[in-house]
Amino acid sequence: MRWLALLVALLAALPARAQQTPSTPLLTADLSTDRVEITTGFTGSSVIVFGATENLIGPETGEDVVVLAWGPSQPTVVRRKVNVLGFWVNGPAATFPEIPGFYAIAATRPVWQVLPEEVRRSGRLGLDALPLRAVGAQAPAFRAALLDLKQRDGRWQEYAAPVTVAGGRLFSARVSFPDTVQTGDYRIEVLLVREQRIVARQELFLRVDRVGSAATIAYVARTAPLLYGVACIVLAALAGWLGSILFRRN
Amino acid sequence: MQVYLPIAEMSVDALLLLGIGFGVGWLSGLFGVGGGFLLTPLLILIGIPSPVAVASGANQTLGASVSGLIAQWRRDNVDVRMGVVLLAGGFLGSALGVQLFAALRRAGQVDIAVSFFYVVVLGTVGLLMVRESVRAIIRRRRTGGAAPSRLGEHTWLHGLPFKMRFRKSRLYISVVPPLLVGFGIGVLSAVMGVGGGFMLVPAMIYLLGMPTSVVIGTSLFQVVFVAANVTLLQAWQVGTVDIVLTMLLLAGGVAGAQFGAAMGTKLRGEETRALLGLLVLGVAIGLAWDLIRAPENLFAIGPAR
Repeated sequence: MRWLALLVALLAALPARAQQTPSTPLLTADLSTDRVEITTGFTGSSVIVFGATENLIGPETGEDVVVLAWGPSQPTVVRRKVNVLGFWVNGPAATFPEIPGFYAIAATRPVWQVLPEEVRRSGRLGLDALPLRAVGAQAPAFRAALLDLKQRDGRWQEYAAPVTVAGGRLFSARVSFPDTVQTGDYRIEVLLVREQRIVARQELFLRVDRVGSAATIAYVARTAPLLYGVACIVLAALAGWLGSILFRRN
Repeated sequence: MQVYLPIAEMSVDALLLLGIGFGVGWLSGLFGVGGGFLLTPLLILIGIPSPVAVASGANQTLGASVSGLIAQWRRDNVDVRMGVVLLAGGFLGSALGVQLFAALRRAGQVDIAVSFFYVVVLGTVGLLMVRESVRAIIRRRRTGGAAPSRLGEHTWLHGLPFKMRFRKSRLYISVVPPLLVGFGIGVLSAVMGVGGGFMLVPAMIYLLGMPTSVVIGTSLFQVVFVAANVTLLQAWQVGTVDIVLTMLLLAGGVAGAQFGAAMGTKLRGEETRALLGLLVLGVAIGLAWDLIRAPENLFAIGPAR
């Protein structure tokens, strides 16, 4: 009887599969977690972006996977030191009001090899495709310094980690967040590229949040600064008093 | 063991902070000063942003000075009246200092300004201390006697109006010099994240002519309240006091201070002061070198506010 039930189930499934084939997504992706928690012991974290494609990925088939991660916008100022009377002080500054606090791109092949420039520009694919509009000093050196320093502290990453492919269709990429990561909503874009075009895309979201005591402290400090200040005074005084009792020399 | 600092928004090795707290506490116990002038530069050195280092340094100084104040209070070594006058100046000075700090932060010059203040103040104080103690040592070697006291000497400071009697200090002087001294220390305390004990003690002895017995207690009285004021204002108006950082530093600091104080009793006064002066000078020279030498990277990034 069991084989009969199985056969019926298979027969029932067949037309469904036949119907599905044209609408089978070219690309499916997901995240290992949709929430990064900053705890008291937080030293940075990483999230795995994984998924599968309908066709084989690789140079033979010409299909490539691009993974893009965006953090919330973080206005940043770049200052140049100048020598005044022998001392190095902060001189001219350029403010970049609308740049992502976190940006990472990973791909099976660098995007400049697989996509034309206008597509990269409109999709902001690659650090060179990010619109870095500055207020204040306009010298290109400020933009270069921004790119350099952001990459050095790990907040902007370009092909820092590879997109690995298993079995031709399964791909995965690791997005690493440094300990200085901002809280907020992060967006992960997974793109499938074929013949210089983006043929499929999927957006995924994750949230970076402080939790536990770190969250409470930051929250109180921001929303009730006066109360927080008083608490800091009381706690420090108590600690000093307690210390003098604990370590009293008689 | 890494610990995440919620206000500095970064993670630091907790053992490193405990160690720094212990080391600075040990030195401060040895020399009888708060040690804020060593702590804040060290914090900046390990990568804590200057505003957080200064604000949390003031918070730590408060905690570190409380135990000393309690001990001095028990021995009745606090001239409360003088303390309150110094404090009145100190509150004004620290309020102004925090405004100055916030303005410097907006102008993007905080790091430079803090270093600059340190170089000037520590350089001057260090030089004076070394000079004074070396002279005292030489004088002692030559005469074999104690250094002559300048107590009771009359200077132009005694001609100022608004005289007030400070019974415990056995002084009848104008309130203007203590107010000015308190004010100056208050400004420096806010900008540098220090209690200012290392400047207050000599100022009280040489400028105000207070007897040594009440100097430490009264300076601690002033330091505790000014540091509390700075903590409150920094938390309220700048938002840079990191309590996790403060508590870790205090945990190491209170332990270190006891060991330092035990060792300090074995050292002679002039030698201790000469060593402290050299230490202060060393910090000043290190910071000056950082300002003078060509930076590795001409550019720096920071959050725009």
